[in-house]
Amino acid sequence: MIYDVIVIGGGPAGLAAAIAAKKEGAQVLLIEREGRLGGILKQCIHDGFGLQRFKEKLSGPEYAERFIEEFHSLEIPAKLWTFVTKIRKSDQDFQVWTVSRNGVEMLVSRTLILATGCRERTAKQVSIHGTRPAGVYTAGTAQHFTNLQGVMPARRCVILGSGDIGLIMARRLKLEGADILGVYEVRPEPSGLTRNMIQCLEDFDIPLHLSETVTRIFGDDRLTGVEIAKVDEQMQPVPGTEKRIDCDTLILSVGLIPENEMAESLRVTMDPRTKGPVCDSWAMTDVPGVFSCGNAFHVNDLVDYVSESGELAGTSAARYFRELKGEADRTAENWISVETEGGLAYVVPQKIRKSDLDKKLVFYFRCRRTMGESMLAAISAGKTVFEKKYQAVRPPEMERVVIDLSKADIVGTSLVFQLGEVQA
Amino acid sequence: MDCQKLQKKVRSIYGNSIRVTEKDGNIVLSGTLKKWEDIVGACSLCVDKKRRYHVINNLKLENTELPKMKLPHIQDQALEGRKPDVLVIGGGISGASIARELMKWKLDVLLAEKESDVAMHASGRNDGEVHPGIDLGKGTLKQHYVIAGNRMYGKICKELDVPFKRCGQYVGMMHWSELLPAYLYACQRKYMCGVSDTRVISGKTLRKREPHLNPDMKFAIYNSMAGSVCPYGLTIAYAENAVQNGAEVALNTAVLSMDVKDGKIRSVLTNRGRIYPEIVINAAGVFAEDVAEMAGDRFYSIHPRRGTNAILDKKAGKLMGGIASWKTLKKTSGHTKGGGIVHTAHDNLLVGPDAVETYEKENFATQASSIENNFKKQQGTVKELSQRDIITYFTGVRAPTFEEDFVIERGRKTKNLIHCAGIQSPGLTTAPAVAKDVAKMAAKMVSASHPVKKNESYNPYRKGVPRLREMSPEQRNKLIQKRPDYGVMICRCEEISKGEIVDALCSPLPVYTVDGVKKRVRPGMGRCQGGFCMPLVAEIISEVTGQPLEKVKKSGGDSYLLFGKTKAGDGK
Repeated sequence: MIYDVIVIGGGPAGLAAAIAAKKEGAQVLLIEREGRLGGILKQCIHDGFGLQRFKEKLSGPEYAERFIEEFHSLEIPAKLWTFVTKIRKSDQDFQVWTVSRNGVEMLVSRTLILATGCRERTAKQVSIHGTRPAGVYTAGTAQHFTNLQGVMPARRCVILGSGDIGLIMARRLKLEGADILGVYEVRPEPSGLTRNMIQCLEDFDIPLHLSETVTRIFGDDRLTGVEIAKVDEQMQPVPGTEKRIDCDTLILSVGLIPENEMAESLRVTMDPRTKGPVCDSWAMTDVPGVFSCGNAFHVNDLVDYVSESGELAGTSAARYFRELKGEADRTAENWISVETEGGLAYVVPQKIRKSDLDKKLVFYFRCRRTMGESMLAAISAGKTVFEKKYQAVRPPEMERVVIDLSKADIVGTSLVFQLGEVQA
Repeated sequence: MDCQKLQKKVRSIYGNSIRVTEKDGNIVLSGTLKKWEDIVGACSLCVDKKRRYHVINNLKLENTELPKMKLPHIQDQALEGRKPDVLVIGGGISGASIARELMKWKLDVLLAEKESDVAMHASGRNDGEVHPGIDLGKGTLKQHYVIAGNRMYGKICKELDVPFKRCGQYVGMMHWSELLPAYLYACQRKYMCGVSDTRVISGKTLRKREPHLNPDMKFAIYNSMAGSVCPYGLTIAYAENAVQNGAEVALNTAVLSMDVKDGKIRSVLTNRGRIYPEIVINAAGVFAEDVAEMAGDRFYSIHPRRGTNAILDKKAGKLMGGIASWKTLKKTSGHTKGGGIVHTAHDNLLVGPDAVETYEKENFATQASSIENNFKKQQGTVKELSQRDIITYFTGVRAPTFEEDFVIERGRKTKNLIHCAGIQSPGLTTAPAVAKDVAKMAAKMVSASHPVKKNESYNPYRKGVPRLREMSPEQRNKLIQKRPDYGVMICRCEEISKGEIVDALCSPLPVYTVDGVKKRVRPGMGRCQGGFCMPLVAEIISEVTGQPLEKVKKSGGDSYLLFGKTKAGDGK
């Protein structure tokens, strides 16, 4: 059989995408590598999920469960313990090769939704040197051990990076009786959500050291210590500031990288700023019929937005086939490109379909640096067509903004976003 | 030889505290120096390649106690009273290949390796190049074995089921003025040294084959017989095949001392009991000199030399399909060929290695400066090379003698001993050829005390764990139907199934650690570096061995991954 939509990945993005596509009447199949749906939420037993969407504070598994229930009630087929080894594109459809306990299977779909999430940056990718003992874990690995396997990865622990998972793990391990000697952040400001800074560090008296980083690892068998150094403005270690801290574990929360090996194999154009695909207002990549959502598209900090992005991809994939009949219309004239200026790190989607110019669209953006009162402006042909004021913006906190494009007079081929601090 | 003259020469540079004497036809340096580089410098100064004496280093480093060999924690009597025909000391590529070759005879072979796995030192920490031998002049043992070894690789890797590719080596040159000397050099190597695959190719041909090489390369010396092999994969395969044929590989077994009488090793003390071997083969790598000392037969010295390589993502593997470096005929200092870029048997790229003298034989810590230097140098080979593609890096320590040549010979004073020492680059390439010779030598020595027969049931073939990701869908499907675990994906980056991991844990030489599994079937070798799969691999080890998860180790010693259960995990 030929599916209308195959969703790859059964985390929050993939679940939302499959549900949305099914509601649009598509024949959907979801493929998940692990034995259970829910993705990384399975191991996120802390609360704070769903505040935007359900106005409730849910744990990760609770949040996932709401989608899993709906997914099952819609009787959407899912292949669990199934791994996609390669994807081939033909004129009309995609061949998705999978491996599972049942063997090798080739599945065919008219559209694909890549909801493959992200992976964690490792110690070597942030240039930590020294030996290679046991006891150096990414925060997600430590979380897997602690929350899913019920074993303790640390006793005396240093955490590098103030990303959200690192902060969550600082509290989690503290609750389990570990000593958390400190969280070290190479940047001059924390990279996690403000609420996590308060609820995970301040409330548990865990010290945060800004502009300091781990430069070396000691220990032959198990980690015995790390070397910490202060960094300069270029985030390079300052010689002479090194000090050794004795500990048995180093946990890293130094950034997430969207997983896009499948997208790359399909020759999807990637955005170096997000490390995810370039997508349009339909969540479609520049390969017709291939959609991207969730953390594979760009790294989110709230799961609520991941679900939202999944829904858009699901709805679009179903509609894409029905309405556009899979037409491979790639002429640039159908899109308006989204450009950024000033204090913006990125804005997604990177393209607006011209047919969406009469709709309300959701944009997400991140700023480059912390700013006080700031103004986001959208400019078309030299004219400001939309403005929104923010009390403050911080790089770790992604902002969501809805723009009613029907009220904005957009002409030409691009829409330029600007973010600037409001001068007092 | 004139020790007085040598002493004068050395003293003029390194000071008057040095004494140069002669012992049994070799040169001995003694005294105390402040810097290790000076010790290496002084000893190297005394080398005379034409006159075949060795330089023995008895120089002391002022105010510094050299680190002692790290010992396994196990203490038992598991090997007490063992009387093997041959005791091989060291489970690197040399020891493992010799053990395997020895099994062609009916011999009782015991290999002692102090680490928790084979290939833990230099053999697990190098770039895996199978050298063409282009850089070696005539007259050394290295040169004698490199061509023979290289030519054996196709057969040996087939027998042992180890991935091996003859991907070719390019040494690019940037100046037309170097064409004639390079051409003459190539001819000399080709016709005088037997490096028959040597060719000089034009820049155009070069770029047709390797489009990403530096466009400034005017021409290159090309050797089609150069190849890439997984060095620890090959060592493990050799060791497994030895075990299949009846050898015993004792891991976590360190040689502590020897009882030598009348020029013969009577017994060898290990942390696992006393062994009474007929003959001993010293393949102890950086510790070969220490073993020679224990055996009362120390006539050479090892000066450890550290090298660091960066491993790049497979995505960067597309930059180059072969092995490449650039060279200039201008004199450069140092022993290193300056490293290069190697497309590995697993399609990653390796960048390096550098070469730094060190007295720490077992310090495998990496330094940021090594990576910087490697990239700076190799961006001359491929301009697009980027540190962003690094997934990890590692350091190894080479084991050269001051003569920079192998020592492969029978003990000089101790007669039931064979040295296989000073094995540095191209020691991986030479191993198959060296092993053959050493095994023959050993069999002959054993036959002096009792008759040694051919092993009629010797099986040269070893079947590795199936590599499912390399198979056609039909083949893969067939295997999964037979064993569904082959369809359960554990490592997403390298596409390794549970079945393959279980196979590795049930192999002839199983090592029940995360790194042991990683070296055998590669989970954790990819871009996420085990972030996703490591907890799962640990769980499979726990499942297969029956030990609780918190007892699983990363590697040897006390490298436990975990500290007991969580409050909830403990049921509290």
